[in-house]
Amino acid sequence: MVNVNKGVLVECDPAMKVFLLNLDETEALGCRFVLQNLDDTHLFITTEILSVLQDRVDDLMDKLSFPQQTEDRN
Amino acid sequence: MNGASHALKRLNCKDLISYLKTLPPFILEELYNNPATCLAVFRNLPEVARHYVMRLLFVESPVSQDVIKHWVVKGEVEKHEKSIEALKELQVWDHSPIPGGLPGWKLKPTFRQNFKVVMLGGGTSWTRGSALEPDKYTKDVDSLEKYAIDRWECVLNFLVGSPSSREMLTADIINLIEYSGLMTNSENNHYITPAGFQFLLMDTASQVWYLILQYLDTVEDRRMNLVETLTFLFEISFASLGKEYSAEKLTDGQSRFLQHLRELGLIHQRKRKSGRFYPTRLAIDLANGCSNTISETVNGFIVVETNYKIYAYTNSPLHTALLALFSDILCRFPGFVVSNLTRESVRNALAHGITAYQIINYLKSYAHPQMLKNKPILPPTITDQIRIWELERDRISYNEGVLYNQFLSQNDFEILKEHARERGVLIWSNTAKRMMVVSLEGHDDVRRFWKKRKQDS
Repeated sequence: MVNVNKGVLVECDPAMKVFLLNLDETEALGCRFVLQNLDDTHLFITTEILSVLQDRVDDLMDKLSFPQQTEDRN
Repeated sequence: MNGASHALKRLNCKDLISYLKTLPPFILEELYNNPATCLAVFRNLPEVARHYVMRLLFVESPVSQDVIKHWVVKGEVEKHEKSIEALKELQVWDHSPIPGGLPGWKLKPTFRQNFKVVMLGGGTSWTRGSALEPDKYTKDVDSLEKYAIDRWECVLNFLVGSPSSREMLTADIINLIEYSGLMTNSENNHYITPAGFQFLLMDTASQVWYLILQYLDTVEDRRMNLVETLTFLFEISFASLGKEYSAEKLTDGQSRFLQHLRELGLIHQRKRKSGRFYPTRLAIDLANGCSNTISETVNGFIVVETNYKIYAYTNSPLHTALLALFSDILCRFPGFVVSNLTRESVRNALAHGITAYQIINYLKSYAHPQMLKNKPILPPTITDQIRIWELERDRISYNEGVLYNQFLSQNDFEILKEHARERGVLIWSNTAKRMMVVSLEGHDDVRRFWKKRKQDS
């Protein structure tokens, strides 16, 4: 007996993985999406969530960066 | 940051040899009827292969493969094999058993004959330099260079969307640009594609070669003869700069090709009907493909400071437009542009498929002479930051696939994993947990294998 699931294999650094797991647990994207927690750097998630998730990660990255040289713009 | 943008088509720019390898054998055979082609191919062969050709040139009978193998010292077998492969693929030589039945190599008669002409002279003149009356509108090297650059910049200007450049190009060339996927056309407006952005940041020689390759692809559709076109291309690549050549004996197809080359700035011809033409540097460098970098006399004009500011001493709208691809223009003066590298501007460029390497390379190759005194040329903070911005997009990689888990026995798992690995479709596995992920394409095959195995047992 073998169980077969279609989905997306996600490879990322451990910090990013924790963020993804947190999104999953808090249902921040509206539903749970992690199918399997494979190891430190790999997750298996549902295909449908992909585009929403990518937007969300982009948002996070934007929040993490600080606009440089704001004084130059004036 | 998604899988699709990772797989963004990198502009694939083949060199001359890899282009010729894609041609069917009979076309190559026909091409070798011209000594110029033979010489161009010979020059681009691996070094060892060139030795083989020279040694075999006057040997009319086949030579045993074992004998040739002994021509190289031990430890250089790799070079030997590469050369053998290249010569075979380019149809320079062919299998031919020696008396006694052992496998041997023999140069193809057409290639041998025409290459002898190259080495020994004779035959008809192949550069069309035949006695022309002196031209009263003769062109010197400098004005030819300027002409070539002006024409080529028209093409680039069209790519960056300068309105004035539209009238400077004919429909043929615009179609070619569309065909090469550098721009898309919707409702008669042209939009640059990611490939186009990458194209803009390549050096001129690679750009020309890329566009010519695309042109050669469309030659058949234009009802022109590929062999004639290529032959002409090789002939002019052996021409000398600043000399005039006769356009009298060209075939119809070649004349059309000449007009297209003229438009791209590869050839100067004063008037369409004028019986003579001057090849420019762009054409002469062509046969090198893009494998050999050409020493371009670029006048650097870009200064990059550690505070992410770029100062460009330029008047050219093209250079300004190129800078604007990956930086925010702050102010423009006559002959001077100030722009700012920001995370947004660089990310914007990355999203269009431009790589950090291309941006850095562009800044480096157009660096102001003052910058060239620094070592490294660009401030490391800037180059590192650009690379970090690129890596940031790669923090997560997505890979569609199928997860197999809950195997009943370790043995089952191992067998299936081995099978997937052999097929090259295994993307992740963990033996302890008995889980594996197979790529989407490989799933059907693995599933079939599994079902068959279960039936068998």
